[in-house]
Amino acid sequence: MTTAAYEIDRLSFKYHDTDIVDIDHYLINEGETLALVGPNGSGKSTLLNLLSFLSVPAAGEVRFFGEIVRQNTQPDFRRRVGYLQQHPYLFNTTVIENIELGLKLRNVNRQLRHARAQNIIEQLNLGMLANKRAHELSGGEIQKVALARALVLEPEVLIFDEPFTYLDKSFASEFEKLLLSIQENRTQTIIFSSHDHLRAQLIADRVCCIHHGKLIEESHVNLFHGKYSREQGIFYTGNINIKISEVPDDVDIIAIEPTQIVLSMTELDSSMRNRFRGEIVALNARNDHIEVTVHTGEKFQVIITRSALDELAVTIGSPVWISFKSSAIRILS
Amino acid sequence: MNYFAQSFADAIQLILKLDYELYFVVWTSLKISLLSVIIASVLCMPLGLLIASSKFPGKAILQSILNTLMALPTVVVGLLMFGLLGRQGPLGAWGLLYTQTAIVMGQCILIIPIVLNMVISAANTADPRVRSTSIALGADRFQQNLIFINEVRFAMLAAIVAAFGRAIGEVGVAMMLGGNIQGFTRTMTTAIALETSKGEFEFALALGVLLLLVAFIVNVFLEKFQILNK
Repeated sequence: MTTAAYEIDRLSFKYHDTDIVDIDHYLINEGETLALVGPNGSGKSTLLNLLSFLSVPAAGEVRFFGEIVRQNTQPDFRRRVGYLQQHPYLFNTTVIENIELGLKLRNVNRQLRHARAQNIIEQLNLGMLANKRAHELSGGEIQKVALARALVLEPEVLIFDEPFTYLDKSFASEFEKLLLSIQENRTQTIIFSSHDHLRAQLIADRVCCIHHGKLIEESHVNLFHGKYSREQGIFYTGNINIKISEVPDDVDIIAIEPTQIVLSMTELDSSMRNRFRGEIVALNARNDHIEVTVHTGEKFQVIITRSALDELAVTIGSPVWISFKSSAIRILS
Repeated sequence: MNYFAQSFADAIQLILKLDYELYFVVWTSLKISLLSVIIASVLCMPLGLLIASSKFPGKAILQSILNTLMALPTVVVGLLMFGLLGRQGPLGAWGLLYTQTAIVMGQCILIIPIVLNMVISAANTADPRVRSTSIALGADRFQQNLIFINEVRFAMLAAIVAAFGRAIGEVGVAMMLGGNIQGFTRTMTTAIALETSKGEFEFALALGVLLLLVAFIVNVFLEKFQILNK
């Protein structure tokens, strides 16, 4: 039977009376790699802070490997989690001293902490930097050292906040391999946040979307939060109006299947009720298909084949139209 | 000009001769000022960190008062303490007036606002990630403070050096509370004032040179520490 690394119950975190995180019930299994995907301000970092026991929730309960975490016991649980912040900070000392600091705080003897630090330094190829002072390092090197500082603690759970957004391109793929090797051993639970849905899907066992502090179990791209007007049959995202078929209840969150969005150079004369003019802002090759990001007031991700891209002969900056049927829209809550 | 040059040459001779009386005054000054700085630092570092990290009504007023107290005139402190420690004062029974302890007490009052203010501003301007990173690494409250102090060590050391400069260079407190007693409470500054009035200009000048030398050595030490720790 799989044990739950985290069992979350009615967890909420408020800032100025606004819910930043509001989760009814959620389980994160031991040894799994979970990706939290969501736009900026969706509550990813706040949730990661709660899972790292760095913040105290306004209400609710978290069980960590079956044990209830209370405010007074939070520091003990914190030591069982390794956390890599979005913009890590290195103390004004040498690289090796930074790496060893967490072990020193846990009263690990000098010999053992040196051996463990050397081991991680070799694993991450940090040998050349070991005796450098923190302020002599580049941004990418700082991230690498901060990662080593988290890994050397060999925690039960590793939490990474947006690891791919701020990592050097060269180190991002190295980091990806490292995550996969940790996954193979299945000894540590990994939780990371990301903007990049497809990359998250590639690495994680499970991808979970977070939108306005709420977790949506299924993974979705083109996730929009907004208001539904029953009279007009329109879902207003704050920037665009999306026509949806009549739905029984109030709608807060919708998702549009990226494979069901049609990309064209001109406006299509078809039965598709939603048609938006936009501009291509990103093109990413993913295995056998291309992920096209189109900005129409909101950003849409459209998945097309390579041959379709060749046929359209578009590039970044090209004006395009996107169209989709109301049936391509999924009502999430 | 001849008089000044001659006095200066005599002063240098006194310094090089390792004149006992001269160096005893220097030692008394160093001892009193170092003790004042140690007491003020031990009190103010934890207190400054606590004030910086907590929110309470009147915090802004407290900081304004501390800013004002940084420019506290030494004779005013001397006068107030004289009133308190004098025979007829409320603390007169302690019999501390004209002792080194009285000078230390007065100098502490003089430098506590300096150290406290500098510690608070060092804590306020430190990178907020220092604390969050140490917490994430599993540091307890005590360890967090140690890490924090270590991160702002240059600012802390600057506070100590500024306080030492103020203590060793002040004359009002040492004169009014120490009484300039030879071999007991005579400090460099009080001796300079006395010897000049007595016409012993070269002795006063020698002390002046040594006072500057002490300030120079302390600053060189601070600079070296910063270079070594960069």
